[in-house]
Amino acid sequence: MKVPVSWLRDFVDVPADAREVATRLATCGFAVEGIEGDTIDFEVTANRPDCLSVYGFAREAATAFGLPLRPIETTNVASSGGAPIPVAIDDPACGRYALAFAEITVGPSPDWLAARLTAAGVRPINNVVDVTNYVMLELGHPMHAFDAATLAGPEIHVRLARAGERLTTLDGQARTLEASMLVIADRDRAVALAGVMGGSATEVSRATRSIALESAWFQPASVRVTARRLGLKTEASARFERGADPAAPMRALARAIELLVETGVGRPTAAPVDVYPTPATPRRLQLSRDHVARLLSDRIPDQDIERTLERLEFRLSPGPGGWTVDVPSFRVDVTREADLIEDIGRHWGFDRIPTTFPPLRTTPRPSSPGAARARLLRRVLCGVGLQEAVTFTFIDREAATRFAHAGGVVPIANPLSEKFAVLRPSLLPGLLDSLAYSRRRESPDVRLFEAGAVFSPSGERQQAGWVLAGSRGEHWSGSSGPVDFFDAKGLAELVALSLGAPIDVGPTDDLPWFAAGRRARLVLADGTPVGSIGQILPAVVAEHGLGTADEVFGGEVDLDLLSRAGGSAVQPIHPIPRHPSVVRDLSILVDERLPAATVRGTIRTHAPATLVAVREFDRYQGKGVPNGQVSLSVRLTFRDADRTLTDDEVQQAVEAIVAALTREHGATLRGQ
Amino acid sequence: MTAVPDLDQLRAEFQAALDAAASAAELRALRDRFLSRKHGSVTLVVKSIASAPPEARRALGSRANALKQEIERVLDERERAAAANAPVAGAVDITLAGRMPALGRRHPLTQVRERIEDIFLAMGYQIVEGPEIEDDWHNFEALNMPPEHPARDMQDTLYLASPVPAADGGRPATLLRTHTSGMQIRYMESHEPPVRIIAPGRVYRRDSFDATHTPMFTQVEGLVVDEGIGLGDLKGTLIAFAERFFNAGVRTRFRPSFFPYTEPSAELDVECLNCHGAGCPLCKQSGWIEVLGCGMVHPAVFEAVGYDPERYTGFAFGVGIERLALRLYGVDDIRMFYENDLRFLGQLAP
Repeated sequence: MKVPVSWLRDFVDVPADAREVATRLATCGFAVEGIEGDTIDFEVTANRPDCLSVYGFAREAATAFGLPLRPIETTNVASSGGAPIPVAIDDPACGRYALAFAEITVGPSPDWLAARLTAAGVRPINNVVDVTNYVMLELGHPMHAFDAATLAGPEIHVRLARAGERLTTLDGQARTLEASMLVIADRDRAVALAGVMGGSATEVSRATRSIALESAWFQPASVRVTARRLGLKTEASARFERGADPAAPMRALARAIELLVETGVGRPTAAPVDVYPTPATPRRLQLSRDHVARLLSDRIPDQDIERTLERLEFRLSPGPGGWTVDVPSFRVDVTREADLIEDIGRHWGFDRIPTTFPPLRTTPRPSSPGAARARLLRRVLCGVGLQEAVTFTFIDREAATRFAHAGGVVPIANPLSEKFAVLRPSLLPGLLDSLAYSRRRESPDVRLFEAGAVFSPSGERQQAGWVLAGSRGEHWSGSSGPVDFFDAKGLAELVALSLGAPIDVGPTDDLPWFAAGRRARLVLADGTPVGSIGQILPAVVAEHGLGTADEVFGGEVDLDLLSRAGGSAVQPIHPIPRHPSVVRDLSILVDERLPAATVRGTIRTHAPATLVAVREFDRYQGKGVPNGQVSLSVRLTFRDADRTLTDDEVQQAVEAIVAALTREHGATLRGQ
Repeated sequence: MTAVPDLDQLRAEFQAALDAAASAAELRALRDRFLSRKHGSVTLVVKSIASAPPEARRALGSRANALKQEIERVLDERERAAAANAPVAGAVDITLAGRMPALGRRHPLTQVRERIEDIFLAMGYQIVEGPEIEDDWHNFEALNMPPEHPARDMQDTLYLASPVPAADGGRPATLLRTHTSGMQIRYMESHEPPVRIIAPGRVYRRDSFDATHTPMFTQVEGLVVDEGIGLGDLKGTLIAFAERFFNAGVRTRFRPSFFPYTEPSAELDVECLNCHGAGCPLCKQSGWIEVLGCGMVHPAVFEAVGYDPERYTGFAFGVGIERLALRLYGVDDIRMFYENDLRFLGQLAP
């Protein structure tokens, strides 16, 4: 709301310096957007439609500066019968409808009036429309002028639009109306959108000789719906949808007529009509002195409380423990005691409220487990060289669909654009975008992770995901090679270890975004799927702006499932073994298609309980290994908790294992 | 025979030779020259004691031995030092690049968020987390924003095309939360006061992209409810936060504002970190920057969750992490936080 200080001074003798006025009112709840010359641009919060007016600001300024406020003097234009245009309210969304009548001569406004409108940011149009706008800016009450000769009947009906009814509004737009929209109609057709905008067929033109001036009150929700449905925000709709003053219509008409006469535009021709079926009852609130002290942490003297509220035009009468307060009709925001206390606090000054600290009366309850889990995960993954990324929750539908399970994706009803049309079903597409972004900008080696929510039609889940591309690290002493599947797998194992839940790989059937032969589902010990890893399909990588030859590996795990499996109990630390372990290495030749897990399984099945670890440490194909076979080297660790193992028994165990491998997989010991 | 001046001269000769000796070989030669069993010059003096006059023998003997021990000690020391500096086999070019393990960084938004969380954790708050897709009750209605409330415009909302079941079996989600206040409602619905929580997380509004707006951003909201909580407690808590987050002496001010779920409502400003209050383009010449919104919990919110507003009062606040991160890191475009450019993220402290 742009408020010229000179206009403000019509009503209150505030200092002429705009900066001084702005600074003072800023501490009362009106943030200053800017100052231009004499005009202060205040931000008016949604609860204060009364301050979408110069007079509203005059009231606040009078209270803030402790100065008297001059009332707007208007000759009361009494309502009487014999109206030239009858008014009928057919829908309760219109609470009051008043019309005044005048003969006018259309022309330009006087300079002073046009200048004030311009300063307040409203473009002058003609001397009639300008008066309605002037009154709206001064009093906060929107009005509308019809060319009376264009109204069929002439009569006015305030009714709901007929579905499909057409109206060309003042902005030249031909609009199709819906049955939820309140309109002003004449005998035949809609002539204005109630509280939003007039129609062009009945607008005041150079030829207009007589006008019907509308000053009404519409339900905020009704105006809001119409404005939203049509995407049409106006000065009028902004005021009505926040809540106009039901007592204002007649005062606004009187002020407008007065201005028309004063500026020589015209003269009233008949007494106004005022249809006000159910006059609003003023709100009455109880204000407790103790409640003021409790909410504001301070005992504010009675005289300050009374002075502030009375200057803001509340009526107070003392009662036991406080006051009975009558709320003025323009303060639509004041519905409870707390609203009054806010007004007291605003004008007392928040900076004068003492600074205290809430006592901690009980032990704090523990935080959500997810918070600590996310911190742990971030530290572990950053510690091993992954960079944390933050990507958007909503993504392109096609990119999302590539990574969605059979259930599909969750679309947004009113997305900002097609690029942000659906909720992400996976962290991978966003991470892939970020990876591609950096790879195209001088950072070939990218390792990113993100922890966050993903969505499917069955709900929201917390996941961690990672993507890797490029080399593991370049150094003058030699490269450690490009990242591969086992980097992605190792990260999954690391995340699972961090959350205390061991995982294994399981069969893949539905991970179409990963390349066949380089993908795996991750499962818990009981077989529950908890995630997946693999090389992202080259075609998908290409869709994110990389070359098809770029190998990108990724993985994703469900954090809720993992941490539930891991539990939160601290695990006991086992005593360090007192007896030495015995290590034996075996190199065997087996079919290259035989999974290492099967070899480990056979070894475990045929080993004594003293076998505590089995782990492959080399895998070789090439010279000396027949085609179709692979040399797999495994390290076996034997240990007994209670005694030192003898060479003999270890040798026997190894022989039994070799025999089983030979029997079951046709394995031969290498170098024999 | 004049043996006495010989010793002083010998010490001087040794000192001069020692000063000139640099290598282990030179030190070895020095040891040979002065201490050799056959012809070492000190050895010869010691040997000559037997032929000295009896009255001088004793004094000469002790002085000659002292010199011998001194030379031995000094040479031992110098030889140890020389040995320590001898290169081992395989000396390296120490100026080649080290093999530094790769280290990732937490995202700047995470770093700011954890910094805020830590301040409130130290004040006895607990962190609560909740769903990012919400139902209308938790996002709006329970927060004193009934349907058609004009304040809903302040937070233009992204809606789901069709409802999605809630994890807790409650009302299905129909929208992307516009703030994390829904978690405060959920918490109050299931816990009795006193309440002292922070609710961090992503929130969504239908804002177009520009240098200061993205449709997704991150918040930390807080809520304190107990008997006798007043605006002074809100001020004390948030000033303490600002001092910990920025610096101990930072100037703050509370401006009245409006939020549907608090009454009175306020915004906390801190002096502009750039111009320290003098006025600059960063703070639009005001000398202040907006840090957070806050206020005393509206009694309608307490009624919605079944708390007695006569008995309990409380305060709530909401901090926008991106805004603080922009200030803290001196970044001028919020979109940088979502590009994840390694040249940007790699500059952060680990």
